[in-house]
Amino acid sequence: MEDLIVAFLRSGTPLVYVALAGVIAQRAGIWHLGLEGMMITGACATIVGIVLAQSVVVGLVAGALFCCLLAVLFWFVVEVLKANQIIAGLGLTGLGLGGTALALTAIFGSEAAVSAPFGLPRIGPAFGAFGGLSVLVAAMPFVILACWLLLCRTRFGLRLAACGEHPFAARATGVNPAKMRLVALLLGGPLCALGGAELAAGSLQIFSVNMTAGRGFMSFAAVIFGAGHPVGATLAAFFFALVGALGIRAQLAYGDRIPSSLLLALPYVATVIGLWISARIRGGNAVSSRELGQQ
Amino acid sequence: MTGRLFPVIQTGAFIVLALVLCSLIFAAVGLSATGTLAAIIDGAFFRPNALNHILRWGLPLLITAVGVVISFRAGYFNIGAQGQFYLGAICAAFAAEWLRGSPAFVAVPACLLAGMAGGALWALWPALLRVKAGADEVITTMMGNFIAAQLLVHVTSGPLKDPSGSGQQASSRPVDAAWRISESSGSSPVIIILAGLVVMLGWWLVNRTSFGILSGLAGRNPVMVTWQGAKVQRIAVSAFVLSGALAGLAGSVELLGPNGRLASGFLPDHGFTAILIALVAGMSIVAAGFIALFFGALTSSGLWLPIMTGLPSAAIDIIHASIALFITAKAGALRALLTWFRR
Repeated sequence: MEDLIVAFLRSGTPLVYVALAGVIAQRAGIWHLGLEGMMITGACATIVGIVLAQSVVVGLVAGALFCCLLAVLFWFVVEVLKANQIIAGLGLTGLGLGGTALALTAIFGSEAAVSAPFGLPRIGPAFGAFGGLSVLVAAMPFVILACWLLLCRTRFGLRLAACGEHPFAARATGVNPAKMRLVALLLGGPLCALGGAELAAGSLQIFSVNMTAGRGFMSFAAVIFGAGHPVGATLAAFFFALVGALGIRAQLAYGDRIPSSLLLALPYVATVIGLWISARIRGGNAVSSRELGQQ
Repeated sequence: MTGRLFPVIQTGAFIVLALVLCSLIFAAVGLSATGTLAAIIDGAFFRPNALNHILRWGLPLLITAVGVVISFRAGYFNIGAQGQFYLGAICAAFAAEWLRGSPAFVAVPACLLAGMAGGALWALWPALLRVKAGADEVITTMMGNFIAAQLLVHVTSGPLKDPSGSGQQASSRPVDAAWRISESSGSSPVIIILAGLVVMLGWWLVNRTSFGILSGLAGRNPVMVTWQGAKVQRIAVSAFVLSGALAGLAGSVELLGPNGRLASGFLPDHGFTAILIALVAGMSIVAAGFIALFFGALTSSGLWLPIMTGLPSAAIDIIHASIALFITAKAGALRALLTWFRR
């Protein structure tokens, strides 16, 4: 049981960090499909930082900086050039996936996986079976709390939500929606970097090309499933992680009877079912929240 | 400026902007920007037998891109072309397995139809989730891509596994040599005719039928079309199913044509490239025909680069991604930018 909880926390934490970045963007009125690209950039920068500078801090800072750079680029394209958020987000994701592959080739000479000598600090043997978890897992509840306070209990959070729901009203009260969206995307950058860092350096200490494997998109689905609320998105991300952890468990137990590739598809199926449920709950008309968000 | 010329200039301007971004990225990782771009163009258009390579990569992309145009025009972001392409190839491979021993004139059309059916089914469930429950099709079709990729791994390492295969990549038994519609290395008259038919029928459907006109209107203003009495849900499901069927057709063409067998994870960028083609072509079927050949050249160059020049093939992914980033941008927004700074 304990190792199942450990596996569940390990697979869920990266999703939660990235989903929180998606929630902040969603509240500001941006459909952030570039999460996947920012997540893998964070993962790559962390491992490369650890390998080259022998320092976790350097890796995390580099990841956060690169993610903020991508965030500014994304903001410029969708907010200033008024590009379609979905297509531009997919482009940002492609930039992250291709850029990390290029960076690996430039630094190490090939696209082979890079392993780091050490990863993020662990919380220590005092916690028994959970001692192998990274500090980012332990920090997660506080980050969720901070996001909730920021988005749901401050003037800034209210203004951000106004920019997403009714930009004209926000502008009428003197808030500049374009600037607020830039702030929202910049807040999401370090969160994506932390999610990627936890994925790459939390337990495995390895980076390989395409290692996010759709987790960024899954986090985005958690944002939608969680109705754009930090707590809702967290619960949704943990639901997807739970299905993934159970799938890995089932693979160990019934691997000879059920094909493992079908068990690997379970989190994606769970995401589809989650979206279906959330759409039903929300009244399920043919107009999705995307059109409403882009008025 | 005339109505037709402006979008072309705008598209060209943003593609130049995308290439500038690519050059910056290439320079950042220590590659020579001009040298890399020159090598890519050289590999795309000036290598031996370039035309054959362009047709080999461009025509299946064109078939999928016509489907993407149909669904995007109706206002639905069917991102799932990749999954529908895979399902088409899987269904065609199963059909080929069941029909083993039958003559080619039965088996080839049956495989193509099976591929279309598979792609259409893989587009049907997101369409139904969208119109019946309101679940957003961007994420459901995206998840469909990942599920389809796992299905492909399962099929090639399970039911259709080639027992004699010893390579690292799992693959199915090769298709009967008599059924192949092209050589492994290139294109053939059959594929050219098939792609030509798809373009002509697609053009006719979009520009000369009530479905095409209504779906174009529904893409811009679904509320108005509903009030005028058109059945938007039926248009949506038809657009999805048609685009899925065309992606599936491309999958079965790849199976019976250049690939000849099903390999796990083959052509992972097909769907995304087809979406780019549809966007660069500005949702015009005729333009998609030319743009698809251009992207086919880029794709073939991406495979050629690492072998001939030692440049990483991810360079092509960067070009695709930058174009995706900028292709939907609007030129009028630049003027808004100036006023924003002046304020």
